[in-house]
Amino acid sequence: MHTRIRDYPSRSSEIIRDDPGVRDAVTGATIAFDQKRLQGYAEVDADAWRRWAEGVKSHTLTHLDRYLAEAETQLEANGAEVHWAADAAEAREIVMSLAARHSVKSVVKGKSMVAEEIDLNPALEAAGIEVYETDLGEYILQLLEEEPSHILGPAIHKSLQQVQELFADRLGSEPGGDPDTLARAARRVLRDAFIQADMGITGGNFLVAETGTVALIENEGNIRLTTSLPRVHVAVVGIEKLLPRMADLSGFLQLTARAATGQPIGCFVSLVQGPASHPDDDGPEAVHVVLVDNGRTDVLAHEHAWEALRCLRCGACLNACPVYRQTGGHAYGYVYSGPIGSVLDPGLLGLHEAMPLPFASSLCGACEDACPVRIPIPEMLLEWRREAQEEGLTPWKERAALKGLASVATRPGLYRLAGRIGSRLGATGVARGLPMLGEWAADRALPQPSRRTFRELWRKGIE
Amino acid sequence: MARVARATASRPGLPHPGALATPRSDNAVDAFVKRFTGSGGEVARADPELPPGEWLARFLRGLEPQVTGVALAPDVPPELRPRLQEAAGAHASAGISLAWGAAADTGSLVLPSTGTRAVQLLPPVHVVWLPAGRVFARLDDALLELGAGLPAAVGLHSGPSKSADIGRTVVTGVHGPGRCIAVLS
Repeated sequence: MHTRIRDYPSRSSEIIRDDPGVRDAVTGATIAFDQKRLQGYAEVDADAWRRWAEGVKSHTLTHLDRYLAEAETQLEANGAEVHWAADAAEAREIVMSLAARHSVKSVVKGKSMVAEEIDLNPALEAAGIEVYETDLGEYILQLLEEEPSHILGPAIHKSLQQVQELFADRLGSEPGGDPDTLARAARRVLRDAFIQADMGITGGNFLVAETGTVALIENEGNIRLTTSLPRVHVAVVGIEKLLPRMADLSGFLQLTARAATGQPIGCFVSLVQGPASHPDDDGPEAVHVVLVDNGRTDVLAHEHAWEALRCLRCGACLNACPVYRQTGGHAYGYVYSGPIGSVLDPGLLGLHEAMPLPFASSLCGACEDACPVRIPIPEMLLEWRREAQEEGLTPWKERAALKGLASVATRPGLYRLAGRIGSRLGATGVARGLPMLGEWAADRALPQPSRRTFRELWRKGIE
Repeated sequence: MARVARATASRPGLPHPGALATPRSDNAVDAFVKRFTGSGGEVARADPELPPGEWLARFLRGLEPQVTGVALAPDVPPELRPRLQEAAGAHASAGISLAWGAAADTGSLVLPSTGTRAVQLLPPVHVVWLPAGRVFARLDDALLELGAGLPAAVGLHSGPSKSADIGRTVVTGVHGPGRCIAVLS
């Protein structure tokens, strides 16, 4: 997937300046999600659950080769086919060749971040295959030709009025219809799509090694239909999604739901082991699991970044983040946005490609407190910033300014002089006027300093 | 796989923390009812005085809007089958399934794919017969018991189909059934 990460500074200002409705919609939705998460956590011993989940995921990641091998063996024993994709291009080729092999003309899709990551829809459409996103939010975005802006609520940046206009225009629904009417209009189109489709494509929340189970969580029922009605089911799953045993699954299903929406569990969970084999089962005749690396082994090998692979894609860190709330996900320029995106994207894509995301944070720590698997996001952001500094990826002016600061701070006479100038003129004015600091200070409001420097007050005795 | 092995090689393996201890309610049936209805599911209690099939037929006739055709899962036993007009999943106004069991802590009905998925998913109303003594205190207990004989797929249904993707307003019956009714026998 091409990224627009580099444009983060300009895109975020554009969204805030030109499209204030986005900030209102995203802030409203994320605050509501965040409150539900807090309620969901409060009903259980959330600290213990989160420590447990962190432990299971870290154990799995440090033995990932073993569990991947076990999952493959088990899935094959269940009659499913397993495919390995090293990168996005390989993953697309695998799905395309499966579509050709099964003579697929139309596809229904459940919401999948990995499918977005590998840019699957354009490839399918280019081959003349009809593609229907079936998650209501994703369907809205497909009609608008937009990308999702939130892991969980892909269209949270859209207002009711925007959906009313879209559906009136594209589905012929009555103008100004309420959400119920609009949902019914989408249901009519998508119900036919489900019945017609040859192939269902989903992601996977978890893959249980012991039983070869792909577990999928949702509320609408579209994933249950996607994995049940078409004759072929393809699950595109990141290699980090493994869980060792069936005994681990129930805790993760519950914790993911609580972190995401505060629910005790998603309204629907699909546990897919393989193709239908019993005569009474009307499920798919073929099940394929595509295991996608696409940068994940690089993250796994990284000294600090590997912990980001524990991520459950619940969106809790996005909901808690005061920076994400200002712009929504589109400003970030890649499928994984918000705090988790800012630590995961540098690992998946390379730090150079993901600049300046590690800097798109105030380091307030709300993300780490929300995270159901306790990913130390602020610490990781600092690590990426340090690496960026070392690799010379930060602006040269900023590096020079820091060097200048260091040389002033280590010379007492010079430091005194600079302090006096600063306190008389006001820090913002001085900083903006300086050749080095100007760029840094342009986006920041600095506090008004005391009229006297600390050293002057110290000498006179503080009143 | 070799790449994954190389990537994990430099890091010591961390231990598995064992099982997650979650509370077990004393009365699993009550706990199930509370959770399931809390998520928008409905619960009906079969009349022990009536043959189950007859009770079910009366219950279905009492639903609004009028049930015009029922889709019956093949594993619903003969004594449970109401004498009503049958229809295929896509055209039925209610689907009748037999649950393998239920989990109290999450309020989930456990539905194996052998009960045919069209019946569980396509009609706007899903009526699920829950045999007595099949409510597990925890989902974990249910999944472990099921583990040995897992069918091709299992659905956990914990309420009606829901979405809040349009204007953050919750609507039901988006894709799956808009009503999910568990019948306690």
